[in-house]
Amino acid sequence: MKKINQHIWLPVLLAATTLISACGKQFLDEQPPTSVSVEKGILTDSDMMEALAGLYRNLDNYFLFGRNAVIFGDLLADNVYLSSSNSTRLLQQYSYTFIVSSPEAKLLWSQSYYSILQANRIIGAHISVNNNVNQLRGEAYTLRALCYLNLVNWYATPYTVDPAAPGVPLITLSTDVGGAFIKPARNSVAQVYDQIISDLDSAYLIMPDATPSVHTASSNFIAKQAVKALQARAYLYKGDYAKARDAALLVVKNGGYTLAADDNAFNTYWGSPAGRTDKVESIFELNNSAAANNGPEGLDYMYSRNGLGDVLVTDDTYALYTPTDKRRALITDATRGGYQAYFVNKYQNANKTDKDEVKLLRYAEVLLTLAESYARLGDEPNALLYLNKVAQNRDAALVAYSYTGPALTDAILLERRKELAFEGLRFFDLTRTKAEIHRQNMGAKAYTGYPTVKTTDFRRLQPIPEAETAANPTIQPNPGY
Amino acid sequence: MVFNIHTRSNPDSFRPGILRLSLTAALSLFLLFLCHSRTFAATDTLRVTGTVTDSLGAPMPGVLVKVNGSTQATITDASGYFQLKQVPVGATILFSMMGYMPQEMKAGSAPLTVRMRRGVRQLDEVVVTDGYRTTTRAANTSAIGTISGAALENKPFSTFMQSMQGKIAGVSAPLTSGQPGANVNIRIRGVGSLSLSSDPLIIVDGMIVNSGQLSGAVTTSNALAGINQNDIESIDVLKDAAATALYGSRGSTGVIVITTKRGKLGKTQVRADAEGGVASAMPLPHAGKPLNAAQYAELFREGLRNSGYTDPQINDLADKYGLNSGKSNDWYDLVTRTGRQQQYNVSVNSGTEKTKLFASAGYFNQQATTIGADFKRVSGLINFDHQINKRFLLSAGVNISNVDQNTPYSTQYSGNPTWAARVLRPFQLAYKDDGSINTATTGNTNFPGIYNPLWIAKYDNKRLSEMRMLGNTKLKWNIWDQLVYTSYFSVDYNTLEEIIYLNPVMGDGVSAGGTSKNYYSRYFNWLTRNQLDYRYDIPGYNNFYVTASVGYEAQKSKKYLLAAVGSGFPSAHEDLTALSNAANATGAYGQFSNYAFTSLYSNAGINYRNKYALNGSFRRDGSSRFPANNRNASFYSIGGTWNVHEEDFFQQQHILSSLKIRSSYGTTGNANLGNYDWMPQASYSSTYSYAGYNGSQYSIIGNTDLRWETSKKFDAGADIGFNNDRFVLTIDYYHNNIDGLIRAVNTSLTTGFGSVSQNVGAMLNKGWEFTIKGDVLKYKDFNWYSNFNLAINKNQITRLPQGTPERNDMFYLKEGYSFNNYYLKEFAGVDTETGAPLYYTDGGHGATTTDISKASYVVLDRLSIPKYVGGFNNVFTYKGISLGVDFNYNLGYWVYGASDVYFTSGANYTYNKYQFIYDRRWTKAGQQTDVPKYSTTTDNSVSTYRLYRGDHIRLQNISIGYDFSHLPLAKRLGVNKLYVYGRGTNLWTKTFDDRLPFDPEVSYSGFDYQNMQKYKTFTFGVNVAF
Repeated sequence: MKKINQHIWLPVLLAATTLISACGKQFLDEQPPTSVSVEKGILTDSDMMEALAGLYRNLDNYFLFGRNAVIFGDLLADNVYLSSSNSTRLLQQYSYTFIVSSPEAKLLWSQSYYSILQANRIIGAHISVNNNVNQLRGEAYTLRALCYLNLVNWYATPYTVDPAAPGVPLITLSTDVGGAFIKPARNSVAQVYDQIISDLDSAYLIMPDATPSVHTASSNFIAKQAVKALQARAYLYKGDYAKARDAALLVVKNGGYTLAADDNAFNTYWGSPAGRTDKVESIFELNNSAAANNGPEGLDYMYSRNGLGDVLVTDDTYALYTPTDKRRALITDATRGGYQAYFVNKYQNANKTDKDEVKLLRYAEVLLTLAESYARLGDEPNALLYLNKVAQNRDAALVAYSYTGPALTDAILLERRKELAFEGLRFFDLTRTKAEIHRQNMGAKAYTGYPTVKTTDFRRLQPIPEAETAANPTIQPNPGY
Repeated sequence: MVFNIHTRSNPDSFRPGILRLSLTAALSLFLLFLCHSRTFAATDTLRVTGTVTDSLGAPMPGVLVKVNGSTQATITDASGYFQLKQVPVGATILFSMMGYMPQEMKAGSAPLTVRMRRGVRQLDEVVVTDGYRTTTRAANTSAIGTISGAALENKPFSTFMQSMQGKIAGVSAPLTSGQPGANVNIRIRGVGSLSLSSDPLIIVDGMIVNSGQLSGAVTTSNALAGINQNDIESIDVLKDAAATALYGSRGSTGVIVITTKRGKLGKTQVRADAEGGVASAMPLPHAGKPLNAAQYAELFREGLRNSGYTDPQINDLADKYGLNSGKSNDWYDLVTRTGRQQQYNVSVNSGTEKTKLFASAGYFNQQATTIGADFKRVSGLINFDHQINKRFLLSAGVNISNVDQNTPYSTQYSGNPTWAARVLRPFQLAYKDDGSINTATTGNTNFPGIYNPLWIAKYDNKRLSEMRMLGNTKLKWNIWDQLVYTSYFSVDYNTLEEIIYLNPVMGDGVSAGGTSKNYYSRYFNWLTRNQLDYRYDIPGYNNFYVTASVGYEAQKSKKYLLAAVGSGFPSAHEDLTALSNAANATGAYGQFSNYAFTSLYSNAGINYRNKYALNGSFRRDGSSRFPANNRNASFYSIGGTWNVHEEDFFQQQHILSSLKIRSSYGTTGNANLGNYDWMPQASYSSTYSYAGYNGSQYSIIGNTDLRWETSKKFDAGADIGFNNDRFVLTIDYYHNNIDGLIRAVNTSLTTGFGSVSQNVGAMLNKGWEFTIKGDVLKYKDFNWYSNFNLAINKNQITRLPQGTPERNDMFYLKEGYSFNNYYLKEFAGVDTETGAPLYYTDGGHGATTTDISKASYVVLDRLSIPKYVGGFNNVFTYKGISLGVDFNYNLGYWVYGASDVYFTSGANYTYNKYQFIYDRRWTKAGQQTDVPKYSTTTDNSVSTYRLYRGDHIRLQNISIGYDFSHLPLAKRLGVNKLYVYGRGTNLWTKTFDDRLPFDPEVSYSGFDYQNMQKYKTFTFGVNVAF
């Protein structure tokens, strides 16, 4: 009896063991919980919408347009200074100590290319074309152009100085297609601008006139006219004033954008944390909501007196505004670290849960680009028209300007400084116009400064990050670093 | 009935059925054979009694007394007495005890007197039992190190891992933080991987558990902190191929086998332990003490003056920074405290021939020496063995624990109290004039940057509550004497509740009006193993046999995470921190993360009279962590041993008393890869969403060609006994070649990614291990037992992808060099005339420069991991008194102060400084020193200036105790054991660099990050057994 028992059980056990092994194949199939294999990433319109949202969100990374790419435009220029009483953020940048291995240098670069990767994934997606797809793909083209325009101006010599100078590598294929081991060299500045303009042309060509219902039509997204607004900036930086004028004019004529009509509308506009659907002032601004924002690392928090308030307005800048200028109310006179201090008040929601949007394209910029283009092309009446349109809107008491010649261009550039201060464009206006940068010495109020940035200073270019030069021997570093 | 196997066409629905099958199979076997118990017919028997003593005549409790050829057995009581009933006439009685030579005596009616002799050469002594096999000393071909439970008991540590440093040659377990319950990264024979985790695989009672840090939000945690050290019977560390190859794809970094206590034969014993004590932070080295107010003020002014500030400017700033206020405080004192701790353990041991039981309950509570940190554990263990009948043995065990831990931030976070104490100026005032905590954030005598750590410790909450249940059942069926079937099933169930609450008044929570992040994670990890063991005795020979086993194992671990974040908390009600108080729900997350392994394994051995033994193993593993085309891999090992002392010729010499030579070679793998890392992925996350729209990003580059890392291990060792094995020397040489090393190959950032993982590298770890242990001195009642061990590991990179940059942060990454070789610009001292720092232009030291950009990187003869590691552990006994003194040492390495730029450089003049900066800074022309002139324009670049010699010797443990159980009173009360002791840990550390500003025991990176100060403890305890 005992013996028989043994002989029955043994084969059963062995069979059981073997059968478990046989089911191993599915047993070992585990799929990730929050992702899909990238080649199955964009198969439908809504996949593409999600990929685009992911791209927008990454632009808001605080090493990119969420803070650094915007704040550097003022911090490295002449509008602001870093308080001696500070949270230790961005000290090196303010004192012009750019280090190849610093996270700021690396992440401005890598986050830009990471965004470009997301755009490339959308642009290269193989799905059937329809209105939604055209809209979304056009936005991706535009955002890719925005990234390249930003990169080429931080890391390369301005086009107006030397279009043949090394620019940045142009990557237009998603990494799952282009491969992980590319070692691209720098394309020339001119080639980068060609790509920017061609991307914007592609976008303008395919995008429907009105945003389809795939997402809301607000200033949080690129609309067809925003493409031209960005292109006007690119042409202006390039010094191609005729084309800058044409692009800007298209926005003015077809865009339907307006400046804030009065004091009340102006103050409401700057106090609002939300994207706009009424086409007042904003053409494109990155969304920061209660659910998605940069918290204490955001641009608003860095500037705002209700946040860190580390970055203050220089006395010289404050003095540019007349007492009747509405924009003077966007600077608050208070104290910091025991000293009198002017705080930037363009970001008024830093301490709220719904934070300030990051304004990347405003109608006033387009108008001033148009004015400058006309002035540089010799059409002074039109230049004055658009200059006064902005200046008199902001200062109701202002007698219309009637400058001519170089004084007119200077007045437009000054108006541009006053209008776009603390919005990240000042540095580029100085570099494209080959101007020396004079940073006011604020004495003990300021952290150690770097008063004059000569046009020959190698620090006018950010360093190509060490992480890039180490992994990519083909790339040419910027001189001096 | 149960075994009706249905054939189904759909393979998906087939799988769960099979799994149920194997479980029900085990269960039904168990039920079926419950009723098969039989009894033996009684023959002539007698009652055997006796006393067992040690070689000095002292009674020995706990000796196993067994009737040869039967299961009848007992253990001796406290006076060494035993009694066995119904022993067959003429039977042989066997006496055995760990650490002693076994004895045999014929049963007789006269009381037996047995003297046990100490010895190491016990051929059948079990060396290690893991899930797969039981290895005896004679047949053992591997390098295995063991820590017995006695060495772990009653330690004032939250985890047993904190007791491991210096105990076993080749095992390092540095303690890098004073946080109780902190994770300890153990390394066996060096760093086993460059990119994957080098943490060893951990087995608890046969179960491959989820170990390491399982938490998602708190700074650190240790999944094994729930194991009560007093419940551990032994810890075995498997080091070489012969020992680890059966763990296949997960054995490459070594295996730690933890065995918990099980019931032993004998009458029921109750044991209670109580311990209490205090802890204080280990004192900072003089060089690293923060400056006091006067010193800081002096440096502040000097730094500004040296940087061209005018006197009025300096005075103005000094005023603003409160230097003239006369009010200051000592931050180091403010963030440290005297911690209290206590532990209580009660255990019951009961064993009859049929049923054995061990049960325990424990409570451990430790308050850290840094504010805001503490740890509590409640644990229980039940292990149960039941001999159902002659053929069936059922074993089961359950271990349940709860760990409750408060964990401040670490590293350079403003919320790290240790960091804050270093950074804050003495003139930043912790308290307002009215005595309340200062939360003002404007003004430089308040907290514009770093927060007030007192407020953070009091009102932030960074808490973990971890509940662990580890259960297993094993059914062992002796099908016939040579064939055994074992079915094993185990569950490792873990839940973690984490809360990170940041208050709305001061700190990281302010901008959101207070935030709370709640994490709930659950890990369900199960494993089943079915194994057949066969033994064949070769006919005609005595003690010449072959063993073989084959088994199948399947494991799946499923993690589930649910997390929620809210912001906007009532600011005037500090206690209302529960998430539901939040005004805004700002985040919700739910996800899983799973892995699975299946393995088919076999093991075979041949043993010739315990003289020669050969052993081989093979395992084929499949893992869900790799792409389908690379999912399976095979691993094998072969090992042999020669017990030379069994040879006749050995007896002709008298120098050695025993000699065992062993060697093994084999392969193992490292599968410590992220669960889905191989797959290129477009991911979804709320951090990718935009303007209310769901967002996805191509965020994981993946690599569809990824494979296992494979290590080829060779080991040769010898165990040599001297003087009748009074001293035993163990020597091992190993050569561990790790191939297919996964390396993050840097990519151009223009791809959108920084690196891609590839199997591109190869690395070699080779080294020597020495352990000598034995009774150094024996004189009458006095005995000095000592264990000295030393490990020397040499790491060498042998292959790297083409074009790998030679500079890997601060290390030189090149074939032929250690992975831990520093590569830095060299500081050359201070210009005696100007006080400027000097750097060598190159490794030749021919010329110096003050411009660091003109200095070149030098491949330094300095490593970040110690060349020599080991311990020196001693036990002195005299009558009932015992004194334990344990040292560990780490020699031949350098530590980089990764945060030191803030504490050394005048550019950060608003941060407090190390004492040595004040003491040694250059102040006048002609001064010879190694600290440059203090100014705000001091160069901050990385050089050997902030590299310190890390060598140290630590007095890890000193304890003294006395056993009162021999006192008549104790005997009258029925007390078997009454041991009272006092213990001090980490009382003394010898270092070798007078500039070293922090404790040099840091993680394997060689970097100091200002983790929580380690502590020393003083405890007093008592163990009572009835």
